[in-house]
Amino acid sequence: MEEQTPIENIPQASKAPESSPQENPTAPKSKLLAGALLAAVLVVGLYYVNRYWIAPAVRAQTKGDESHPLAPAFSLTDITGKPLNLSDYQGKVVVLDFWATWCGPCRIEIPGFIELQRRYAAQGFTMIGISMDDSPEPVVDFYKQFQMNYPVAIGNDRLGELYGGMPGLPTTFVIGRDGRIYAKHAGAYDPSVFETEIKELLALGPADEPKDFHPAGQVFNENKIELGNPATIDSEVPGIDLTRLTADQKAAYKKILESQQCNCGCKFTLLKCRQVDRKCSISRKLAQDQMEAFLKTKSTGIATK
Amino acid sequence: MRMLLCGWVLTLMAANLGWAQNNNPVVEAQAVMATDAAHANSPLKLAVLAQVAAGYHINDHKPTLDYLIPTELKVDPSDQFTVKNVVYPKGTIERFAFSDVPLSVYENTVVVGALLQTGKAVSVGTYTLKAKFAYQACNDHACLPPTSVPLTVTLKIVPRSVPLKPVESDVFQRIKFE
Repeated sequence: MEEQTPIENIPQASKAPESSPQENPTAPKSKLLAGALLAAVLVVGLYYVNRYWIAPAVRAQTKGDESHPLAPAFSLTDITGKPLNLSDYQGKVVVLDFWATWCGPCRIEIPGFIELQRRYAAQGFTMIGISMDDSPEPVVDFYKQFQMNYPVAIGNDRLGELYGGMPGLPTTFVIGRDGRIYAKHAGAYDPSVFETEIKELLALGPADEPKDFHPAGQVFNENKIELGNPATIDSEVPGIDLTRLTADQKAAYKKILESQQCNCGCKFTLLKCRQVDRKCSISRKLAQDQMEAFLKTKSTGIATK
Repeated sequence: MRMLLCGWVLTLMAANLGWAQNNNPVVEAQAVMATDAAHANSPLKLAVLAQVAAGYHINDHKPTLDYLIPTELKVDPSDQFTVKNVVYPKGTIERFAFSDVPLSVYENTVVVGALLQTGKAVSVGTYTLKAKFAYQACNDHACLPPTSVPLTVTLKIVPRSVPLKPVESDVFQRIKFE
C-alpha cells in the first residue's frame, strides 16, 4: 500500500515554480490569454448547455400547466385504415381540427385546411382532422367529395375531454414542433389566421422557444388552453376523480351509483349513465354530489393526500 | 381563389364571434297537454314549447341540406297511448356565413305538436308521459353537438263523465294539427 504524503511534507521542488513579474515578463500576457480563452469556452459551453439541456428541461417542467401545455397523445386509426398517432408528428407543426360533417362552420373551413396542407406539408407541417361524427360513413363520403389531403380519424368523447372538452365545433389547436399547444381556436376562422401561426411556428427550430408567439385573430376567454384532467377522464366513473379512494371505497361508491336511477331520461342507473354517456351533465352532477356525500361519511376514512 | 373566397366569408363570420358554450342550455323546452286530463279511447293533444337562445338556431325538421341534423320530438312508447302524428312548424329562411344557400331553421320560440290517442282499455289513474326534444344548434360561427331535452308530463285519465278543461289554449292555437 502506498503511503500518503502529508501536504506540508511535499518537497518544494515538486511544487509548480512560482512566477513573478520580475522573473518572467511574458508570463502574465499568456496567462491572461489562456484565462480569457478558458472563460470564453466556458461561456459558450454554458450557453449551449443552457439552450439545449437546461432550458428545455425547465420549460418542460414549468410550462406544462401554463400557457402552452403539451398536446395530449392519441392513437387512432384514420378513415383509410392507417394508424394515426400524434407522436408520429413530433418535430412538425400540426393543426389539429375537431370537426363534424353536420357542422356548417366546420365544413367551410375544410377547403382552407386542404390548401394549407398543400402549401406547407413539405416544410414540416401537417393538418390532422378529428371528426366527432357518430359514425365514419358520412366522414368517408365527405373526405372523398372534398378530396381531403390530410389524415382524418373518428374521435371520441374521451379524446375531446383530454383536449379540454368540445362544447362546440369546430375547435382547432395549433401545435408547435415541440409538441406544445400554442393556440386554440373555438369556432370557424379565416385560413389566414392559421397560416400566420403555421408560418411563425415553422420558422422556429425544434429547440427554439416561441416566446413572442401570439395567436392570430381575435382571442377570447374560451380560447384559453385548458386541457382535461386524465384522473377524471380515465376514471371507472367518467368525470369523477376516484384517485383518493381505496379499492374497497371505489367499489362501495360504485355500488351507491349502481343503486340509484339517473333522472336525465336515459332509464339507466347513475353508474351506467356515466359509463355510456360521458357528456351527460345531469349524471355527472349527481355522481359528483354522491362523491361529496361519500367523502363526508365518517366510515369511509379517506386519507387526505 | 377558393381560399380567398373562403377567407372573405370567414372574415365576415369573425365579426360575429361569441363562443357557443356557456353553462346555460341553448334550448329550454317544456311539454304541456291541451286539457287538464284525458278520457280513455280519445284523442289527446300535446305541445312542446322550445325556447332557442338568442343568436342560435336549430335545424328545421326538414332541413334544407341533407347533412344537417333535423329537430325531432320523440315520444316514448306507452301502454296508455299511441302517437298518431307529430306536427312541426315551418322554419324561417335565414342566410348564414357558413352556407352558400339560405337555410330553413327554427329560432326564438318553437312550438311542436303531437296528436296522441289514449288506449281503449286504459284505466282511470295518473300516468307519466315521457318524450325528448332532439336538436342540434349552431350560431353563425360554431355548432354544438346534437343533444336532447328530456320531457315529462303527468297524464290524468278520468272517467268519461268528468268534463275536460282546456289549458294553454294560446299555445295550441299555434299548432296546425290538420
